[in-house]
Amino acid sequence: MIELKGLTKRFDDFVALDNIDLTIPEGTAFGLLGSNGAGKSTILRILSGIYKQEAGDAHIDGEPIFDNVSVKEKVFFINDETIQFSRFTLIELKDFYKRFYPKFSEEIFEKLKNTIKLPSDKRIDQFSKGMKRQAVVIIGLSCQTDYLLLDEAFDGLDPTMRIIVKRMLVDAMLDRKLTTIISSHNLKEINEVCDTVALMHKGKIIFNRDLDSVKGNIHKVQAAFAIDYDKDAFSDLEVLHYERNQSLTYLIIKGDEEEIKSKLNIKKPLVLDIIPLTLEEIFIYEMEGLGYDCTEIN
Amino acid sequence: MYSIDLQSRTPIYEQLYKKIVELIMKKELKPNDQIPSVRILAKDIGVNPNTVSKAYQQLEHDGIIYSLAGRGSFVAKIDKSSIKEKAFTNFDTAVTEAVNVEITIVELIERLNKREGEQR
Repeated sequence: MIELKGLTKRFDDFVALDNIDLTIPEGTAFGLLGSNGAGKSTILRILSGIYKQEAGDAHIDGEPIFDNVSVKEKVFFINDETIQFSRFTLIELKDFYKRFYPKFSEEIFEKLKNTIKLPSDKRIDQFSKGMKRQAVVIIGLSCQTDYLLLDEAFDGLDPTMRIIVKRMLVDAMLDRKLTTIISSHNLKEINEVCDTVALMHKGKIIFNRDLDSVKGNIHKVQAAFAIDYDKDAFSDLEVLHYERNQSLTYLIIKGDEEEIKSKLNIKKPLVLDIIPLTLEEIFIYEMEGLGYDCTEIN
Repeated sequence: MYSIDLQSRTPIYEQLYKKIVELIMKKELKPNDQIPSVRILAKDIGVNPNTVSKAYQQLEHDGIIYSLAGRGSFVAKIDKSSIKEKAFTNFDTAVTEAVNVEITIVELIERLNKREGEQR
C-alpha cells in the first residue's frame, strides 16, 4: 500500500506538490491525470526514492521510501530518462538492474527480448527513441516488483508493445497483486487499464476516485424544452457547462443520473438524452472549472 | 464473442455485463456453459482484470452466473423474469418520454399492434 500524508515538495519558489494526501491500496491500477506541470512526475519521483520531500510522509508498505533499500527494491520506475545515456548494451544493462532487484526473472526477460527482437550487442545510446523505451519496459517488467510506476511510458509505445505490456500487467495484478501507477495523456489507455484515477492541478489533487464513479458522477445532457430556459433556470443542479444551439440545450451536469433526470423532467422536456462522458471530456470540463480552459483559444 | 467497444461511453464493466446477458438471451451461452476466466478475458480485450472481476461479481450477485472454487465461472439457470422486469422498466421510461413529446397512448398501442403484425 502507498500512503502519502501532507506531502510537500518545492523547487526554490515553485511548489510542485502542495500538501498531498493519497492512499493507493495494493492491486490497484492507478491513473494520474493532469496538465503539464501539475506534479505527476514529482509524485512518481518521490515514490521511487529519487526526490526527498520537504514536508509530510511518503510510505510504501508502512516504511519511508527515501534512502530505504528494502522499499526501493519493491519499486520500478519506467520513464524516459532512466536509460537515456547508457553506454551499456541491453544485456549489460539487464545485469546491472538485476543486482538491485532480487526477484528479477531471466525467463521473463528472455521471452520479452525475443518477442520484441531488440539487439543484445548494440549500445543503448545507439538505440532509437522507441527502442530505448522498449528496453526499459522489458527490464522493468522482468524485475517483478510489487510496484510499477509508468511515467508517460505508454504514450510512446507501438500498438503491439502496448498489448504486450497490458497482458503482462494482467498477469502481475492477478499473481502478485501488482500496484501500478500510470501517468499518461492518453486517456483512452487510462480508461482501459486503470480502475482508479486522480486528477492533479498545480500540485494538488482535485479528485481521487474509482473510475466508474468518476464517470457515473458527470453527465452530458441534450434536451429541448417548450420554453427557452437560460442557464439560471438550472441553478438547482450543478451545471459545469451550458450551451444553446437553436432549440437544443446542451448541459454538462455533475451528480447522480436519476436526480438529474427527475429535476429536468419537472421542466417537461420534449427531448431528454443523458449520456455518460468520456474520460477525455471529464478531464476538459474539470480543467475548465479550474480555469485551465481550452475554449478561450480558437 | 465477448468483443466490446472500448471507445464507447458506457463503462467497460457494464458493457461486459450486458454482453454476457445478451449472449445468454441469444442462447449462444447455455446454462452450465463455462465462461472465460477473469485473466483470459482481461487479456483478450486488453482491460484491467479488476474491471472484469467487477462485471463477474455483479453477474453472480444477480444470479446470472455462478462460480465454483478453483474451476471457474459458469452460466446459471436463469429465472428470466428478473431480466424481463428490467426490460419492462426500460419500456416504462420510454413511454414517459413519448408522452412528454405528446405521443398519445393510443398511438403507442397502434405502434405495438403494428409490431405484432410484423412478427407474425
